[in-house]
Amino acid sequence: MHELSIVLSMIDMASEEVDRHGGGRVTALHLKLGQLSGVVKEALTFSWEIACQGTALEGSQLIIEETEGRELEVVALELEAAEELVT
Amino acid sequence: MSGQPRMVEVRQNVLKHNDVLARALRKRFEDAGVFVISMVSTPGAGKTALLEHTLTQMRAGGLRVAALVGDLATENDARRLARSNAPVKQIVTGTICHLDADMVQNALDEWNLADLDVLFIENVGNLVCPSSYDLGEHLRLVLMSVTEGEDKPLKYPTIFNTADVAVITKMDLAEAVEFDLHTARENIKAVRPGMHTLELSVKSGAGMDNYFRLLDSKIEVRAECVSQSRAR
Repeated sequence: MHELSIVLSMIDMASEEVDRHGGGRVTALHLKLGQLSGVVKEALTFSWEIACQGTALEGSQLIIEETEGRELEVVALELEAAEELVT
Repeated sequence: MSGQPRMVEVRQNVLKHNDVLARALRKRFEDAGVFVISMVSTPGAGKTALLEHTLTQMRAGGLRVAALVGDLATENDARRLARSNAPVKQIVTGTICHLDADMVQNALDEWNLADLDVLFIENVGNLVCPSSYDLGEHLRLVLMSVTEGEDKPLKYPTIFNTADVAVITKMDLAEAVEFDLHTARENIKAVRPGMHTLELSVKSGAGMDNYFRLLDSKIEVRAECVSQSRAR
């Protein structure tokens, strides 16, 4: 079960991206997951909610597009800008 | 304005950090002239027995060899391998089920790679997770023992896809467990057409000549490539 390490890498990657965009909250993360990546979808979704707690991704959705190759790629984030949270 | 989330494109491989580090390691190995071979298998397929024998034989043949060995706990394997008198270092991963490039890099810290010809990396016993992590090795051996059954490759196709050579071990037990070598080879071919496959028994010595010939040829080919690229 190395999916938790994978999830943690995804969260690190997304958090860096959030910082680059001046903060905010991630509502969804889009992932491309290949059948040959050696990573199991269910195990990712299982650990997602807990791993996101206390980060900019807390409460976010993990949206997985399954492909046939080896892909394991964070495609995009849906980001709510920080100032919009205040209003 | 309402807080409508906007789409931010990322397009990054999740394992990019590992891949970048593995590439750097591979470059470092090449610059130092060391050939790196990793071994993956289930727990108990015979990685350590094969490696102990390999280190001993290669040392006797005048090669400067060393090994890194990964396990969740204990230094038992490192102690076993140390009987070969080759330098050995244990990587204790705690709860982590695989080695990654970071762990390999950290373990190499005190070693001068230029003093080595061949470095072995024995992964944690696991046919699933190690397949995602490049360690910078030049050759990856996947081991399966006859006691595990012929369908291992069908059940764990990903690891067979990331490895270069399949080694069927414990052939001395094949008859007792009614292991069907032909079916096993067909199964390997089904998930990875053309994969180099060999069978051996460390205990009886059967197939070991073949195995060493294969390793020697890979090491030589690599050495030639490196010296040619340096001459250019």
